[in-house]
Amino acid sequence: VNIKGAARTTWNWLDDRLGVRTVMDFLKHKPIPRNRHTPWMYTGSLILVFFGIQVLTGIMLAFYYRPTLEEANKSVGEIMTKVPLGWIIRSVHSWSATFMIAVVFIHLLGIWVLKSYRKPREMTWMSGVLLLVFTLAFGFTGYLLPWDALSLAATKVGTDIPRSIPVIGAWGTKFLRGGEDISGDTLSRFFSFHVSVLPLCLLAALALHVYLIQKLGMSLPVGADEEAEARRAIPFWPNFVYREAILWLALVGALVTIAVFLPPTLGKAADLMAPAPEGIKPEWYFLFLFQMLKIFPAKILFMTGDTVAVLLILLAAVLFFFLPLIDNKPAERKGKIITILAFLLVVYAVAMSVWSLQTPSKPEADKIVPAPQNIRESAAIYVFLGGIWLSVAVLTYLLRLKIKETDRLLEVGYFSSDKR
Amino acid sequence: LYPVLKFVFPPEREPEQVLLPLADYGSLEAGAIKNFVWGSKPGMLKKTAGGELIAFVSVCTHLDCNVAYLPEQKKFFCACHEGWYDENGVNIGGPPPKPLRRLIVITEGENLVIKPEGAA
Repeated sequence: VNIKGAARTTWNWLDDRLGVRTVMDFLKHKPIPRNRHTPWMYTGSLILVFFGIQVLTGIMLAFYYRPTLEEANKSVGEIMTKVPLGWIIRSVHSWSATFMIAVVFIHLLGIWVLKSYRKPREMTWMSGVLLLVFTLAFGFTGYLLPWDALSLAATKVGTDIPRSIPVIGAWGTKFLRGGEDISGDTLSRFFSFHVSVLPLCLLAALALHVYLIQKLGMSLPVGADEEAEARRAIPFWPNFVYREAILWLALVGALVTIAVFLPPTLGKAADLMAPAPEGIKPEWYFLFLFQMLKIFPAKILFMTGDTVAVLLILLAAVLFFFLPLIDNKPAERKGKIITILAFLLVVYAVAMSVWSLQTPSKPEADKIVPAPQNIRESAAIYVFLGGIWLSVAVLTYLLRLKIKETDRLLEVGYFSSDKR
Repeated sequence: LYPVLKFVFPPEREPEQVLLPLADYGSLEAGAIKNFVWGSKPGMLKKTAGGELIAFVSVCTHLDCNVAYLPEQKKFFCACHEGWYDENGVNIGGPPPKPLRRLIVITEGENLVIKPEGAA
């Protein structure tokens, strides 16, 4: 009879023990600045959404995937052809990785251009760089798991790169491969990195990152009028979260749609003795490094070209990590050179990637191209996509109502501390 | 820590030698190539125009991709970063810093014995 009362009692019981209200109170009073840089602030939670999708679909794929030389390629093939809707799950996992990494780059660019890494947020930046490294490592290790010719060649190159580092490099290669060469041991090692080592590392860095963001609050743009910003700001919960949720929904809709229409294919099982296939390329986010390794000449002074290239990349990575200590000007200085540098880096990466795409890839014969198996399944997929977009539309409409409502409440001072 | 490191870095296993039956591999035509397995790497046996048998580890010296032999051009090609080697395995184009690794070929009775250089 008294459901409301029971719910309230349960809520209070939980709140006494978990302190939910303290957290919510904190989030209600966490100001999100509203200015022309606010769009950058949507990127962080978006990364988390895609990461969540990766965890979910990744666990599902692991139900059927078998990380051995004989079975890896076969089991991915089975996921794509035999497991009900397996091809969509694999496709979502692959596309969500692309979406996640794309948003990571945008997030990074935003922080860089806004100089949000300056005092006191140096460690937030550094933990973010670690997150970037782990994210790219996820992409790299995941690429091998389907075990086709492309993924083998990419992994051969990728794991050989450390060898170019003088003195310790050979150990790095051996560690990654589980031996001198790629073998079944490499595959199980990469699987273990991908599903247990990297998730632990990433979650640890993420915890630090998110903690620091809460502790330090959102940064204001260079030269902002603090009082005016404080007046304009909206609370994270609920006003900002409702706004974010619209973007989450739209992009998840886009993700599923793309995943259905452009699923990744699967080549034949890799042959350790076969020559590398012509026109091979890594995933798009490694293209600029790939092109750099390609154009460096065999010898530069007394070193080999690849050693020079790898040392340059390492140097860039170290400088990148320590950027907040290099650009340690007071927060109100503009830092135009740093902005120009970011712009140049983007131009460089895009130009190298486009250049690398000039070599045509040779389409592989005998690959598995997933698709709905019959009319019934394809009809069901259209209904499913329609349903997804319909719910996105309805939820967006409802969220907009909530935004209006909460903004009005904010205006009349309902959320201000004296009303607590 | 030592046992952990021992565990994580397994020992290297390069074959001391590989035996190839002369019946299968001896009858190569001049300029032709035959593949064999050198431990965990691919190898190639080639008969030169002069009739001599030479062997390579057919792995690119740039970043470890397996190379292909293109008979029309008489060159070895690595598709990963477009590296080129001439018919004797000498690097002639692209990023490879060194020639392909040569192996020694000795005829012993019914077999060809392939050994690493310096082991003979």
